[in-house]
Amino acid sequence: MGQTGSVASPPVRTSSRDTIDALLTACAGGDPASFTPVYDALGPVAYGASLGVLRDPDHAAEVTQEVMVEVWQTASRFDAARGSARTWVATLARRRAVDRVRSEQAHRDRDQRETDLRTNESERDVVVEDVERRLEGSAVRRCIEGLTPTQREAVVVAYYGGLTYREVAERLDKALPTVKSRIRDGLNRLRDCLEVRRG
Amino acid sequence: MADETTSPGGVPGDVWDLLPGYALDALDDTDREAVERLLAADVDARRALDEYRDVVASFVVEAEPPAALRAGVLAQVASTPQVRDLTVPASADGPTPGGGAVVDLAARRRRRRWGTAVAAVAAAAAIAVPTTIAVQVTAERDRLREQAQVVSEMLADPDSAILRGAVEGGGEASVLVAGDDMLFRAEGLPELDPDQAYQLWVVEGDGSVSSAGLLALHDGQATSLVRGREGVGMAVSVEPESGSEQPTSAPVVVLGA
Repeated sequence: MGQTGSVASPPVRTSSRDTIDALLTACAGGDPASFTPVYDALGPVAYGASLGVLRDPDHAAEVTQEVMVEVWQTASRFDAARGSARTWVATLARRRAVDRVRSEQAHRDRDQRETDLRTNESERDVVVEDVERRLEGSAVRRCIEGLTPTQREAVVVAYYGGLTYREVAERLDKALPTVKSRIRDGLNRLRDCLEVRRG
Repeated sequence: MADETTSPGGVPGDVWDLLPGYALDALDDTDREAVERLLAADVDARRALDEYRDVVASFVVEAEPPAALRAGVLAQVASTPQVRDLTVPASADGPTPGGGAVVDLAARRRRRRWGTAVAAVAAAAAIAVPTTIAVQVTAERDRLREQAQVVSEMLADPDSAILRGAVEGGGEASVLVAGDDMLFRAEGLPELDPDQAYQLWVVEGDGSVSSAGLLALHDGQATSLVRGREGVGMAVSVEPESGSEQPTSAPVVVLGA
């Protein structure tokens, strides 16, 4: 952890971001030893992203292994101009985790999750609360609170369920266009709140 | 506050509205294809996607992976060669690579008309594949059956078809087409000069082509699974070793009908 974040602002990743980006860029040079600090910095991102979708520690560990090896293999594709190393790894991990959710192997677990998400309003609320608890203290938590309840629900169910728009619509018993616009509007608000705007 | 609605269909404004869903991996195949076309064409869309990805990544609560994983990953890394990214740099666009057979499975959806040969294939592909071809390649089908689960699913698709053809300069190529997935195989391909590479292309219904990455040749054989691409066929050309965004030479094989 860097010591540079002494300005009176919420904890941000800016100080360490550049370092991690540089580490990832450097390991594209082909030296396996240079990957160790990358793993230490970004393994928790891959594992956290996988765990958020899969909920099963064993599956999340498998996905993390696949993702981190992929990160090593494809390090030359990382383009810091398009986003941080953290976002890149989170994107890769989420995609693999979602693929796994949607694949046959994870079918049983998915049925369980669908049951979790489908059962009733109060259980969905539990999911939402669980998410908010996990995000305690983070910038995104504050921003999520700025969403309307319906936006929040749609975004959270899509994110943590690893569900498609269509599946979210079924879960929430809402029309597909409604779900699409709630998620779009929700992510737009989060984008503005999190100040990730570029250009 | 009333929810806004979007009209169905693929008009550009609607596709922009799908970017958040793309960042969330929440789109079905049709919508994802539409977004990938938009991303290929529009730098502003790519920037918007990058922002949405930051938003989605901000949801991640970092968690320490099991301690045992570290040694496993580092050992695997030590024995795994890196992919040399030979095409335009990009972040995480495109489908998840299914394996290491192809240098770049990420969709680089630069398009260009490739001329009449490909246009003819596209036109011919509108006609059903003759049954005789499908029958002749039963052996091939059996061999493919041993491959990954996705290939099994492709083979289980009653509408799947295998197309084959001779490669100019030597060798033979085939492609198994099922829905939006294509499994390309080639064998007997001659080695190229070190500064050249075989590049695989997806041929689309309008006659345009887009890169499906460079082929990694092992003993003259190459295999590539390309998923989620609405192609009507595939083609291979010899390109500079760094690959090309668009074909720079005539195809050595076109598989489409």
